[in-house]
Amino acid sequence: MNKIHKEAEKSDILTEVGKLIIPFIQVFAIYVILNGHLSPGGGFAGGTILGASMILHRLIFGWDHLISRLTYDRVMKWMCASLLIYGALKGYSFLTGGMHLQVWDVPLGSPGNLFSGGFILPLNIAVGIIVSITVYVFFKLFYEGTI
Amino acid sequence: MGHLLINYYETGAIILFGVGFVTLLAHGNLIKKIIGMNIMDTAVFLFFIAKGYIAGNEAPIIRSAKAANGYVNPVPTALMLTGIVVAVSITAFALALTIRVYEKYGTIDLNEIIKMGGE
Amino acid sequence: MRKMLSVALTFALIVILLFGVADLPAFGNAENPSNNEVSYRYLEKGVEETGAVNVVAGIILDYRAFDTFGEATVLFTALITVIAVLRRDEDE
Repeated sequence: MNKIHKEAEKSDILTEVGKLIIPFIQVFAIYVILNGHLSPGGGFAGGTILGASMILHRLIFGWDHLISRLTYDRVMKWMCASLLIYGALKGYSFLTGGMHLQVWDVPLGSPGNLFSGGFILPLNIAVGIIVSITVYVFFKLFYEGTI
Repeated sequence: MGHLLINYYETGAIILFGVGFVTLLAHGNLIKKIIGMNIMDTAVFLFFIAKGYIAGNEAPIIRSAKAANGYVNPVPTALMLTGIVVAVSITAFALALTIRVYEKYGTIDLNEIIKMGGE
Repeated sequence: MRKMLSVALTFALIVILLFGVADLPAFGNAENPSNNEVSYRYLEKGVEETGAVNVVAGIILDYRAFDTFGEATVLFTALITVIAVLRRDEDE
C-alpha cells in the first residue's frame, strides 16, 4: 500500500520513554471514564485522552502489519459493537413514546458509590470507546493517506 | 459602553467571532479558511456557556446538602457538548476534501483553482 | 483591495452584533431569564432520580440520553464519510 511519507527511524530515547509513559496515560483515561458520574469528566473527556495515548503509541512504535494490535478491521468491530450497545440500552424511547422497558428494574444504588446511577456507567464506557476510536482513525487516515 | 465592559465574556466572544470571520474571508489558502471556521465555532461555544454562570456559586457536583440555588446552571454546558463534537466532525471532513482538491488541481489557493476552470 | 473590503464588512457586522450585546442582562446575575425553573428542577431532583452526583452527566446520559445517541451517530457518520472520501483503489 502506498504511504505518503516514509516512516521515521527507530529511536532509543523515544522507545524507552514511551514504554514508561503510555500505561500511565491509559490508566488515567480509564479513571476519568469510570468516575464520570462522581466528578467532572465522563465519556467524552476520557475518550479523548485514551485516543491521544493510542496516537502516541502509533507515532513512537511505528506500524508493522504483522504485529500491530490496532488494525482497521478490529478497531471498526469494536466501534460498531459499542454503538449497538448504546442503542440497545437507551435508543428505543423513540418508538415506545418515552416509556421504559419493563424487562428489568434498574438498581439506582446510593449516590457516591462507583456502582450507582443505573445505566450511566455502561453508557460512559460505550461513549469513551467510540470517541477514542474516532480520534485514532482520523489520525491514522491522515497520516498514511489511505486505509 | 460601560455595559459592554460588564459583560466582557460576551463581548470577547463576539470579537473572536469577528476575527474568525475575517480569517475566513481574507485569505486564499484553503487551510486558513478551515482554521477561521474553527475559530468561529469556538466563539459561539464561549458565548453560550458564559450565559450559565451565576456569581458566587460553585460547580454542579452535589456533595454536601446545599440548596438548589447554590450551584451554577448546568443546562448550557450539557447542550454544548454535542456542538463541540459536530465542530470536530466538520473540520475533519473539510480537511479530507482539501486533500482531494490538492490531488486534482496541484494547488490549494482558491483564486488559482477558479482561474484553472474549476471543473 | 479585497482584504480591506472584507475587514470593513466584518467591522460593520460586529458593530451591529455589539449593539445587541449592550442590551443583555448583567453577567452572573441570579435573576437572569436563563436561570428559570428548568435548571432548578434538574438540580433539585437530579440526584434522587438518576443517582449521579455529577448533574451534567445525569442530564446528558439519563434525561436526554437520546440526544447523546444522535451525537454518537454523528461521530460514526463523519468517520465513515472521511474513509469513503480518502479511499483509493489500487491502480496498476
